[in-house]
Formats: sequence, structure tokens, C-alpha cells
Amino acid sequence: MSHQLGRVVSIILHRYFGDIVQTVGDDLFKCGSKPIGMIVKTTGLSRGLVIESLRTLLKYDIAAFEPSVNQLIAEYKLVPENVLLLIRYPRYLLQVKSKYGSEAELLIEELLQQATCTATVLLVTIATKYKDDKEKNITIMSLKDMFISLATAGYIQQAPVAELKEGSEIPTLVPVATIVPDLDTRILLQVMNAGNFNDVKDNIYWKVNYDRFHQDFRDELMIKAITRRIDENAGELMRFLLEQMYLNSPAWAPESNPVSALDVRDRCRRAATDKPLLQQYVDQYLKVLEESGGGFVRRCGDASGGQFCVRARAAALQLVRAALDHLVTERLGSKAARIFRLIRTKKYIEEEDIQKNAMLVNKECKQLTYKLLEEHFISCQPMRKAATAGGMAKAIYLYHIKLHEVAHTAREMCYRSLHNVSRRALHERTLHARLVDKQKRVRTIVHGMRLRGEPQENIDDVEETLTPPEQAVLQGVEKRLKQLSTAELELDKNLFIFNWYFTYPET
Amino acid sequence: MSVKQEDQLKEKILNVARKNPKGISHKDITAAIPDISSAELVTAINELLQQEYFDLFNQNGALLYRLKTQVNKQAVKGADNEEKVVFNLIEEAGNKGIWIREIRIRSNLANTQLTKVLKSLESKKLIKAVKCVNASKKKVYMLYNLEPDRSISGGAWYQDQDFESEFVDILNVQCLRFLNQRSDKIKNNPRGPIVGRTQSYATASEVQKYITDLGISKVQLDVEDVITILNTLVYDGKAESSVYPDGSKVYRSIDPLIPAPGLVQVPCGVCPLVHKCSTTGLITPQECTYMTEWLE
Repeated sequence: MSHQLGRVVSIILHRYFGDIVQTVGDDLFKCGSKPIGMIVKTTGLSRGLVIESLRTLLKYDIAAFEPSVNQLIAEYKLVPENVLLLIRYPRYLLQVKSKYGSEAELLIEELLQQATCTATVLLVTIATKYKDDKEKNITIMSLKDMFISLATAGYIQQAPVAELKEGSEIPTLVPVATIVPDLDTRILLQVMNAGNFNDVKDNIYWKVNYDRFHQDFRDELMIKAITRRIDENAGELMRFLLEQMYLNSPAWAPESNPVSALDVRDRCRRAATDKPLLQQYVDQYLKVLEESGGGFVRRCGDASGGQFCVRARAAALQLVRAALDHLVTERLGSKAARIFRLIRTKKYIEEEDIQKNAMLVNKECKQLTYKLLEEHFISCQPMRKAATAGGMAKAIYLYHIKLHEVAHTAREMCYRSLHNVSRRALHERTLHARLVDKQKRVRTIVHGMRLRGEPQENIDDVEETLTPPEQAVLQGVEKRLKQLSTAELELDKNLFIFNWYFTYPET
Repeated sequence: MSVKQEDQLKEKILNVARKNPKGISHKDITAAIPDISSAELVTAINELLQQEYFDLFNQNGALLYRLKTQVNKQAVKGADNEEKVVFNLIEEAGNKGIWIREIRIRSNLANTQLTKVLKSLESKKLIKAVKCVNASKKKVYMLYNLEPDRSISGGAWYQDQDFESEFVDILNVQCLRFLNQRSDKIKNNPRGPIVGRTQSYATASEVQKYITDLGISKVQLDVEDVITILNTLVYDGKAESSVYPDGSKVYRSIDPLIPAPGLVQVPCGVCPLVHKCSTTGLITPQECTYMTEWLE
């Protein structure tokens, strides 16, 4: 809950929901939790508007509510982590598309937009939307099957149900265990043909399970890291280990329960056609993965041909370290990164020893060390000799790295950059708002004319209202905005690593 | 006995001594020069001792004469007593050198006198002053012909007390190149990953041989020196080290676990003013020049 987080949350709310929701969001962020009356008072907005914004926020899970002390009125609070998920939507879509194809993408996209929705409404809406689209060839049957497989895989889950407790006026949201639904195709078709949802009895609401996606992202990170460090076969082996891990351990456990090598060997045998080398040398790969795999995997027993633990926490630590190494390298140069890593390896080290081990010129080395200290990448612990007379006693300065704090600093920087990038994008949009508007108008007009089948000359006339210089400017803006949104996604990926690291408490 | 005879005798004794650099005893002399009377021998040796040709040792009760080195003899020539004392102190210190304060205390000479003595010895090229690498103001004295100790000179990486960072950088790059040549062996090795990993490892002595064969270094580099360089690679995150069963250190080059993360891909990640940037004021993301350049 830092200032930087507040800034980035504010700008994201503005982009997705506009000024009013932003004001309410800011207010909630500043005050923690407060009831509607207080929000109305501090924001100066009308009660209706505040309620409307809160409704939006609650719908998208961005805000939460809880009964106040007297159990009569609800207090609202913002969930900033969920605000940041808004910019992760494209990644969810990409992930589900690459795994399940475009139908799943449509489902998830619609569900993300609706926030919560019953299966019937969701399926019928999409099916109606693409009824005439011959290219995609989407039927309600295939959508239904996809919906069921997504629910089985846990990418979507049942939304929590509101329950009224005794002695309280405020409902509480109780999570429900997801039961894979049995949807009747006939009813779906009936509803679709009727075109209204009046006589549908479906009252189970669904929402996207972000956590399931995050598990995928995490696995992907680990597999890619291993692939970079060793090779594709080892990456594949890591994937198999993770698959086995899910069977017997909670997904975010710092260290998984032991996975038997027998199961992994079995899995490799099934993948033998793709990766013959892996099947042939699976034991060797396990050994190499254990020894040179950055500590992602640990051998924890010898029973039944070896037992292995997947160490998600250690993996997060390694990846955060790698990210910080990159950051130090880019900010202060590779020499500084050398010092940074040296201090990390030695844990506590004196200034003189840094110079000796890093093989740098004395002066440069000192400068870089102080620079690192200034930017909070390293910390310094003075050790004064007790009970020595006079000021002559020389203190020893031990440099060390508090990784948790450094990661914190870096995450703040991520928030700051994310804010800056979004802000810049907003600025670009407002600067060229007139032109972008004009382009949009021209496009709609041209589209309308095309549909009406008007002659090409007239269409050209309309299109030419956008002059070449204007076109050039628009292209520039488009390119810049695209670059900014790519940067946003990349920053989000970076944030994901940090947040993953912070899910495990500091030891 | 004439002076000439005496000189001849001395010459003979010296010849015997030169043949036995470990020292000679009375027996050795009488064996080598049988026609010598003990009285003559005594006078000759006494004179030689006086001229400081010999150091006198007592070995198992027998006296042993050892020829002093040539330099020592020269030093003695035309030197006064103070110089001799100072010279001996410096000689004792060996290649570690001796600090001027230490000489002053032990020789009990006044400061001005000592400086004069040291200057005269230096001008005769008998001793030299060497600057210490870890304390730039501190000067130590040692015999002219000695190679300074590593703790004084800093080893191969120092030239006249200056750290040669370019030299280290070049070696660093070359070592990495050598390791990179092998690093791909681990990827999809048909003989299995363990063999692949072993092939991608390079021992420090292999790297040392490669560096020596390249001929980029004028100085002879030890395995120890190469290990320091290889360690900098490890600290650079470009290599990892391991230990073979026989205790020798091995290295292989590695890639970082993740490609450059998003934070360093945007200008803010590398911006020196990032902490001064805010929504309003002089430095804002809207007006940021770095960002404008990046977006071009």
C-alpha cells in the first residue's frame, strides 16, 4: 500500500472506468475502508454516483465490503492487487487461446467483461454474437463443451454466494466449491431461439479464476528458466515434475511434497516420441536438473528410485535475483552488477575485500559501491569496536544485501514505471484526441457506406477528409501507443515475478 | 711470506669457496690446498674475514666459511658504517621490504641522516623503494635485485602500483570466450546431459593454457591468477563454478535465468531521475525526453 501503488491504481481505474470511479477508488485507497456516507462526504460526489461506482468496483472484484462494527452498514475497501489484474487481461486471453483455442478465448473474454455471469447467459450471448460468422463456425455445442473443460481445468470457477448471517444486516460472500455443471443443450438452444432469458432457471454464477492462470504463468517462468539454463529436454522434465506436483501438493506451496521419479520416468516414456533424448537419459537429466538447475528441484529421498521436491519458493528467489541483476546492470553498469553479485555471494563483506575480489580499480570500485548504497540496492552494517579509547578505533563496514527490501524497492520502481507509461499513453491520447476522434468517425461512415453499397468514389471522398499529414500523425500515435501498451504488459510480467516472491513470507 | 704469495693464497681459498657455495670448513681448505700451514691459513682467513668476503658460521662445532654474494661485497665497498647497518636491515627484510620508520627505530639513526643514507644507497642501485599497493603513501625499501612480494606489488594485475583494469577486462573477455566455445555442449547432447555438462566445464588450468597460448599477457599468469579472473566471471553472472572430485575448480558459462525483464525495457528502469519524477512539476512522464526518444 505505497504511494506509488496508489498512483498506478488511480491511473488504471481512470483508463478503464473513467473519472468518477477513479475519484472513489482514490478515496478508498487513501482511507482503507469506509462506509458510503463518508465516501460521499470526502469525494463531494452525489450519493447515486458513488453507489454506481462502488457497484462497478464490486462487480469486478476490485473492491470488497465488510460489515462495520455495529453490523448495520457496510464498509468498503479497495483491493489494489486486483486493480493491477486489469492490465493482465490480454495475457489471460493469450494463455487460454494458446492452450484451448479461440473458442475458449471468446468465453474468457466475455466472462472477463461481464465479471460474473451464468453459464446459460454466457454461452447464449457468445453464440448469438457469432451466429452469422461463417469463418469461425462457432456452435453452442462446442462452446458448451469448452465451457465444461475450462471449468474442469479450473480456469473458471463459481462465484462466491452472498449469505446473510444472523444478527447482521450485511451479507458476506462465501466461496463455493466449483461443481462442473451439466448443461442441457436443448435448453440452451431453446433460449437462443427464443432470444430472451426470462424463463431460465440457471442461477449459478461463474467468474474467471485468476489464480489458475497465475499458476500457468509461474510454471511457464520456471520451465523457461530451466530451458535457458540447461536445454529443452530439461525444461520438459521440469514441466512433468510440475504436473506431478499438482497431483499431491497445494499449488503455491513453498516446497512441494515429494514426487516419485518413477512417475516422472513413466511420463517421459509417454513423451518419448517428441523427446527421445529425455526418455533415454531421464535419470541423468534429473541429476543435472538438481545440481545445475538453480535449486528449482531438490532430491529429498531415495525411495523408489528417487524422490524430488519442486521448490517454488527457491525458484521465485532465483528469478527475483536474476531480475535484480538485470536491473543493477542496466542502471549502474556491469561492473556494479559484479559488485552486487559479489556481495550477495559473500553475504557480508568489507570494502577492501570487494575491491580485491571484483578486480576493479580502487576508486571506481568505491564509487560503484556507494552508488549501489545510494540507490538502496545494498545495505551497510557498521561494526564499531566497543571500548576502544579515542576516535582512532576504526569501524568495520560490512556490506550486505537485504533481498526482501531490495525487491521491495524494485517493485516500487515497477509501479512507478507502470504509472509513467500509462500516464504517457493517456497524455498521447488526449493530445491527439481530436484526430483520433476524426479517424473513428471516418471509419464508421466508410463502414456504413460499404454496407449500404455506395459507389467507391463517394467512399474515397470521405476517406480523403483525412489528409496525408494527419494520417502520418495518426500512424505515429498508433505506433507509440502500441509500444506503450507492450511496455505495460512487460512491466506486468516483471511485477508478477516480484509478487510471486512476496507471496512467501520473509525468512 | 710476501704479499704476492699471500694474495695467491687468498685467491686459492676464494676459488675453493666459490666452488662450494654452501660454505667450506678448515678441512675443505686443507684438502684443496694441501701445501698450506695452519698459521698461514689463519692469517689469510682473518684478512678475508676482515675484508668481509666471508660470513662465519658455526656448524656442529666446526667453523664454516661461506662466501658473501657479489652485491653484498660491492655494497661494503666504500660504504661507511651507517650505510652498512641500514643495508643489512634492508637485506634482512627480503622481498617483503621494510618501512622507513622501522629502519629508523632499529638502526637508531636520526631522520635526516637516514634519508641521506637511503638516498646514497639508492643512487648506487643497491636498494630500491617500492610503493605498497594497498597503502599508496607507504613506501618500503628492499634490495635492488629483488622481485617485490605479491602483497606489496599486488601480483600480476599491477604495473607500477597501478591496477591494470584494461588488462583484467581483456582477460575477462577472453576467458568468457573460451567458456562460451564449450557452453553449447550441454544442449541436447546425444551422449546425455551429464557428459554434456562435463564437456561444457573447463578447468582453470585449461583456461590458463588457452590464455598463455593466446600470448596477450606479457606476464606469466599462474593458475591462481586465472582463477581470480574466472571468479570475476562468476560474479558477472556469466559463469558458474563447480568442483571436480579431485578438488580442481571447473567453470562453465551460463545464461541468466530470465531475459531482460520489463522494468529495464522501459526508460524509467534506467532513468537517473526516476525518483524525482512526479505527476506535476519539472519532471513528468508527459514531458519526459527519455520517453520521447524511446517512443521515436
